[in-house]
Amino acid sequence: MIRRNFPRLLIPWFIGAAIVCLDVVLVVRNPGDLDRLLINAILALSAFVTLHARLLSLANAGFMAIGAYTSAILAVKAGLPMALAIPAAVIACGLVALVIGLPVLRLTDVYLAICTLGFGEVVRILIVLLPGLTGGATGANLSTGFPYEVMHQAQTWMILLLLILLAYLFWTMSSSRTGRAFRALRENPRAASTLGINIVAYRNLAFLMSAMIAGAAGAFYAHSVGSLDNGDFRFTRAVDILSFAVLGGSGQWFGPLLGAGLLTALPILLRDVVGASIGFLRGFAQLPNILSGLAILLVIIFMPGGLAAAFGPASGRASGHRRSKRTAASAPVPGHPAFPGLASRGSNAGGPTLVLDGVTRSFGGLEALSRVSFDVEEGRIYGLIGPNGSGKTTLVNLVSGLDAPSAGRILWQGREIQRHPAHLVARAGIGRTYQNVQLFAEMSVRDNIHVGHHAHIRTDLLSTWLRLPREAREEKASREESMALLERLGLADIAGQSAGTLSYGDQRRVEIARALALRPRLLLLDEPAAGMNEVETARLGQLVLELKAAGLTLIVVEHHMDLIMEVCDQIVVLNFGRKIAQGSPAEVTRDPQVLEAYLGKD
Amino acid sequence: MDLTLLADPVFFAQNLVDGVSRGALYAVYAMGFTLIFGVLDIINLAHAATFMWCAFAGWFVMAELGLPLPLGLAASMCAGAALALLLELLAFRPVRRQGADRLSSMISSIGASLIMVSVAEALFGVSTRRFPDRVLDPRPFFIGGTGGVRVSRAQILIVAAAVVLTAALGFFIRRTRMGKAIRAIAANLNASRLLGINVNAVVSVTFLVAGALAGAAGILVGLLTNNIVPGMGAQIELRGLAVVILGGMGNIEGAVAGGLILGLIETFTIAYLPGGSDIKDAIAFVILFLILLVRPNGILGRAAADRA
Repeated sequence: MIRRNFPRLLIPWFIGAAIVCLDVVLVVRNPGDLDRLLINAILALSAFVTLHARLLSLANAGFMAIGAYTSAILAVKAGLPMALAIPAAVIACGLVALVIGLPVLRLTDVYLAICTLGFGEVVRILIVLLPGLTGGATGANLSTGFPYEVMHQAQTWMILLLLILLAYLFWTMSSSRTGRAFRALRENPRAASTLGINIVAYRNLAFLMSAMIAGAAGAFYAHSVGSLDNGDFRFTRAVDILSFAVLGGSGQWFGPLLGAGLLTALPILLRDVVGASIGFLRGFAQLPNILSGLAILLVIIFMPGGLAAAFGPASGRASGHRRSKRTAASAPVPGHPAFPGLASRGSNAGGPTLVLDGVTRSFGGLEALSRVSFDVEEGRIYGLIGPNGSGKTTLVNLVSGLDAPSAGRILWQGREIQRHPAHLVARAGIGRTYQNVQLFAEMSVRDNIHVGHHAHIRTDLLSTWLRLPREAREEKASREESMALLERLGLADIAGQSAGTLSYGDQRRVEIARALALRPRLLLLDEPAAGMNEVETARLGQLVLELKAAGLTLIVVEHHMDLIMEVCDQIVVLNFGRKIAQGSPAEVTRDPQVLEAYLGKD
Repeated sequence: MDLTLLADPVFFAQNLVDGVSRGALYAVYAMGFTLIFGVLDIINLAHAATFMWCAFAGWFVMAELGLPLPLGLAASMCAGAALALLLELLAFRPVRRQGADRLSSMISSIGASLIMVSVAEALFGVSTRRFPDRVLDPRPFFIGGTGGVRVSRAQILIVAAAVVLTAALGFFIRRTRMGKAIRAIAANLNASRLLGINVNAVVSVTFLVAGALAGAAGILVGLLTNNIVPGMGAQIELRGLAVVILGGMGNIEGAVAGGLILGLIETFTIAYLPGGSDIKDAIAFVILFLILLVRPNGILGRAAADRA
């Protein structure tokens, strides 16, 4: 097995080595191309950050221009040393990114693409409109009054240093809380938000980082080339930058470096080396752009993960617990009542913990939920039943903050939450699972659980980058708690597998485990037994009861009436968006309205 | 602001005529764009490149082959339809088949766009091409004597074409069987597939129609500006986006209204604001950004919930 996989495992390394060789040839032939290569690599990282967060930003060329002109103007006109001019340019890019990102990133992803496309054009228009500062349409020559020759040699090292720094920042980030949040957001933003991840904030963070990196690249470009022209920052430049990240792959941080390495060297070498024998290539100015465009099309269609995907999934640092043989340990371990992290908090002196008060949700005239009211008492299990289309999932979406009611109030522990975004609802202690399992399919089971800890880990990016002991401590605690939780649910032996490869029943249990990692006080289970066989359903029922024993409040949406009757303390029945009955299982099964809804009128 | 200009009714009427014809042009361009968004929920970033190639196709037929304007228009619309179909087959359908999200579709359309523009630059260079004068008499009409409002034949043709194309598209979408299928897919692609609609065929037709509209826009812009260059797509792309946002993404009537609004605002800014012609290219972005800030669903846009 290992022997047969051996050559395949080497392919990505061969590709990587071939790209490095191309770049070495490029730089040996003309050392001046090294600056271009390094700057392209940095630009590739700027495109990567946004793509990695599933955002299409076409503003990279615009931010590059802002960085370039700001730094150049500060250095040449204001006489600032480069050590001040470049950081100032980077900060300027960051500020502009916030102004654009904050309003636009609330909307769906399409709007960022549109707005950034326009932004790039407007930056060029402004450059042309301010000839006093920028040289206008004819461009700015920085070599006048700028110690170009002296600085140049040091420049290359500075750019290299910046690239190495960025590589370090991305490398450490990829296995941190922030990196996991980005991967979760990339795979499934809805699920991420109900685990306490503020997706708008993370999108803004990605856009901000992208802008500042592009700005830094632009600033170095200005000081390296020595003259600027607005034509350097056309839309084609934005697409070139994008093509580096697309070709390299947006899953892992080193992908765009490969993409930039290939797409910088290839057109130049084709033109200069191959062009020596094939004449028409020599004068082919559009060759780099055509290659970039082709790379984008081919990669998107034939290898969506890009070059980096060949190196395997991103959750690399998983250790141990490779698929060991599955033992009888799959059953929950008896005599192990406590759920890790779910410290049973003293009950809230009775009283409702969740209150739905006249909750209505209409979709363009059609009321999916109509004036539904009920109270949920702490520490009990509520069944939510009703025929298909009766509004059960709508209700779960409203309580978990994915959707907002058209009218009515939802109170959680005495506070109105009906207008809270999902991540705040999650952080307030409401966890959920989905009718169609919404795991982060490409992440390992363990990492799925880690994402569940997002709200409880305090490590910020700075601690990650500075390698503060706090991060190691929190990561270790999170790993241990994850494993304990997985062991408690009998999932420990699949901890290292990608969630997408699991059986349906296992996926459902992993999703419950992930929701438990949030340490909720209320857990919403949306059809947890769908697709499960009898044994699995019975085990699920047992788990639900154990969770109740651990102090959790549960709302279970289910069609399996056996399960509902067995575990629920109270049942709420919905039909056509209205609550038609509520009571103990015995009361509900006798209710004539319920019988009619389920069996129809005679 | 020049107050004497404000009081001049001829000047005002002249700008009204220019603004409406300019706006009609944007409307024709944006209708195809918004149609694809409405159906597939993606922005086809190669629409501008299609438009540019269509203008060149029309130029080739009229200037090189010496054929008259109706044939040039037909050739341009056919070229647009063919290019758009090619895009659907090469850049959109493979991505859809993978079940990839719309981000991938947008990226592949960007790649296609870059190739199209670069090939045009390689073939045609950067020098301007013009339609020959004989295809359309360049002498304008004057309303109210020689000092009156100038209306060129191109402007009349543009407005007429916009009216005809809008009506035809409206009829096609509302009244025909294919239009019904297009609306079904716009409402829910997967449900339409389950109901037995041949999604790929209908999407192909949508691209054909959108491409033909880009083709019409290409000829009309060529007639109005007489400036056919590989970069002409970039000049209208941002305006198209602004128009589509203004009218609400996916809303065809909205695109027409948005086009007229943008055309009028641009023309009047150039005419009445000092330095207006310098900032005219930025107006589209300012409008676009303000609308995203205040009313993301556009002036005529449906509420997000209704689209879902």
